[in-house]
Amino acid sequence: MLDRSVIRLVCFFSVGVTCLVLPTLTKAESPGDQHVKIELISEQDAIVPHRKVWVGIRFDLQDGWHTYWVNPGDSGEPPRIEWELPEGFEADAIQWPYPQRLSIPPFADFGYEHQVLLIAAVQTPPGLKEGVRERIAARVHYLVCRDVCIPGQKQLELTLPVKSRAVAGSDLQLFEATRCRLPQPAPERWKISAASIGDDFVLNLIIGRSAGAPQFFPLEEEQIENAAPQTATTIPGGFRLHLKKSGHLLKPLSRLRGVMVLGSGKAYRVDIPVSQSSSNVHTQ
Amino acid sequence: MKQNLLCGLLVALLLTSSISAYAQKIGDHAPEFQATGSNGQTHKLSEYRGKFVVLEWHNNGCPYTRKHYESGNMQRLQKEWTARGVIWFTVISSAPRQQGYATAQQENDYLKQMNGSPTAALLDPQGDVGRLYSAKTTPHMFIINPAGILIYDGAIDSKATTDQADIATATNYVSQALEEAMAGKVVTTPTSRPYGCSVKYAH
Repeated sequence: MLDRSVIRLVCFFSVGVTCLVLPTLTKAESPGDQHVKIELISEQDAIVPHRKVWVGIRFDLQDGWHTYWVNPGDSGEPPRIEWELPEGFEADAIQWPYPQRLSIPPFADFGYEHQVLLIAAVQTPPGLKEGVRERIAARVHYLVCRDVCIPGQKQLELTLPVKSRAVAGSDLQLFEATRCRLPQPAPERWKISAASIGDDFVLNLIIGRSAGAPQFFPLEEEQIENAAPQTATTIPGGFRLHLKKSGHLLKPLSRLRGVMVLGSGKAYRVDIPVSQSSSNVHTQ
Repeated sequence: MKQNLLCGLLVALLLTSSISAYAQKIGDHAPEFQATGSNGQTHKLSEYRGKFVVLEWHNNGCPYTRKHYESGNMQRLQKEWTARGVIWFTVISSAPRQQGYATAQQENDYLKQMNGSPTAALLDPQGDVGRLYSAKTTPHMFIINPAGILIYDGAIDSKATTDQADIATATNYVSQALEEAMAGKVVTTPTSRPYGCSVKYAH
């Protein structure tokens, strides 16, 4: 079955102009729909006034297709969510599970394959009337890619009754699994430091044990060469990670912020100053 | 004959090593390249010493490229800047059978239909020029000054979306850099994250 983008290309290259002016697809026929199913789900079955309710945007991607993390890497674009909430409701920031590095030779992107749930807490006001159904909606702007990229927009909504008590809904496990993939603050006892040394950022992580294959994902673009291997060496009490600097870094980086994923699949938030000394790496 | 083979091997080695080697930085000499345009003419960067040169990586199927072509934005830029003496090369580094790949005839047809007016559309299906410059996305823009120095490497503008409505309110980094450089001023935004679809290199 030919997908629409292939049909477009075939039209484009055929002799004559007739296919050039492409028909505008209606909202229902967003071409991305074939490759990703997007849904708005809630962790619990009701809204309790003045309590937050966790909702999530679930992306189910066809094999081979991916979408992007907040820093998408060398190409692509992260999804953007516009909330439409009832009076007095407020959505907190989206919580992003740690991504995978997606190899797009000779470059790399950061994103998700198969499935990802982007969760957010919605604060609710007091004084909501019991029994009333409240509507939570979101407009999701997204990009899904495989060998080609398809942008799309999806209007999503769900309604939940206001009750004095709420119980977990059928998607609880997915919410809990997602929480396991959220980066946690680094434990107090860890000593993490970074130095700018030549073409690299060198990170020392003294965490009390060695870790298998750690990976660092910067929160900001244009700081490291995304596709470069991140060589890790074991040092007493932890490991040292070499990150190749981005060729687009024109002035010294004073701070490195990102997500460190350990071999165990646990992710930690890193937010550290970068020492510009070319000799020793100073610990915090 | 043996000499040519050896040279060929050396060039191949140099080119493959450039994939993992550090790409040129702002302020460096832009790498020399040679490529054939869709009009059959060969173009070498060094031939254009004394002029500003813009390189525009292109894939006509990519939604980010289409944003700038279906709005007429890219064509406007090509027209405006070539009229002011800038050499504008559209570069297609898509491998055969990948999105964006075009034969000379197809590219000429496309330029006619879209009213594009680059100085030439360079066909780079082996990805040699793309890898030389570390072209990541379509579009990805580079500007080389009349002394052959790279002065811009990055996005076409400041709004990394597929939405045509964003063009009017975005800062066009290419125009900004050319205006500044032509006025003898420092380029205020010499790099930015290029946005778009990944360039479809041969594997």
